[in-house]
Amino acid sequence: MPDLVLQIAAGWATLLLFGGGILLLRARDTLHRVLALDVLVAIVIMLLTTLSYLRDVSYYIDAALALALLALTSTLVATRYVTRGGPF
Amino acid sequence: MIFDIAGAVLLALGLLLATIGLYGMLRIPDIFHQLHPAGLVTGPAVILVLLAAVFTGSAEIITSAALVLVFVLITSPLSTHAIAQAARRRPRQSRDRSS
Repeated sequence: MPDLVLQIAAGWATLLLFGGGILLLRARDTLHRVLALDVLVAIVIMLLTTLSYLRDVSYYIDAALALALLALTSTLVATRYVTRGGPF
Repeated sequence: MIFDIAGAVLLALGLLLATIGLYGMLRIPDIFHQLHPAGLVTGPAVILVLLAAVFTGSAEIITSAALVLVFVLITSPLSTHAIAQAARRRPRQSRDRSS
């Protein structure tokens, strides 16, 4: 893919990151915050993937994989914390 | 040439879906309604951006992207379901404070 398209896509994903930050700041509740962080991680995955296409290296996507794993674990633990008052 | 156009279209479509989902999440106050645009961002938007890896032509990137694709397909519904379940089951006073 041409570099210009990838640069525009990376810039767009960065703007989306700011939108996710606004979403996180506007959250009034623990679950809203958990949901906003989930969406933020999805946006960071998109940004890392675009960066990987731009620089033509693969290890940014591996970082995205690790981030997705951490996001799943933290979301499950946080929702359990909201429901039962503790992680276990 | 065709590869370039297809990859650019997939990338733009994924980022457009993410933008629409983020706008919806900023507009909607209720958590149950917010889960719908959140599912749009964490599911199809990420998948479309990852599918654009096919058109980069690099084997390493395609393999890593396929791994992330499978992982996202499994975990995105799981986390959305966990959040919805927690919103339904949480204690009454915190639900009143949220609305």
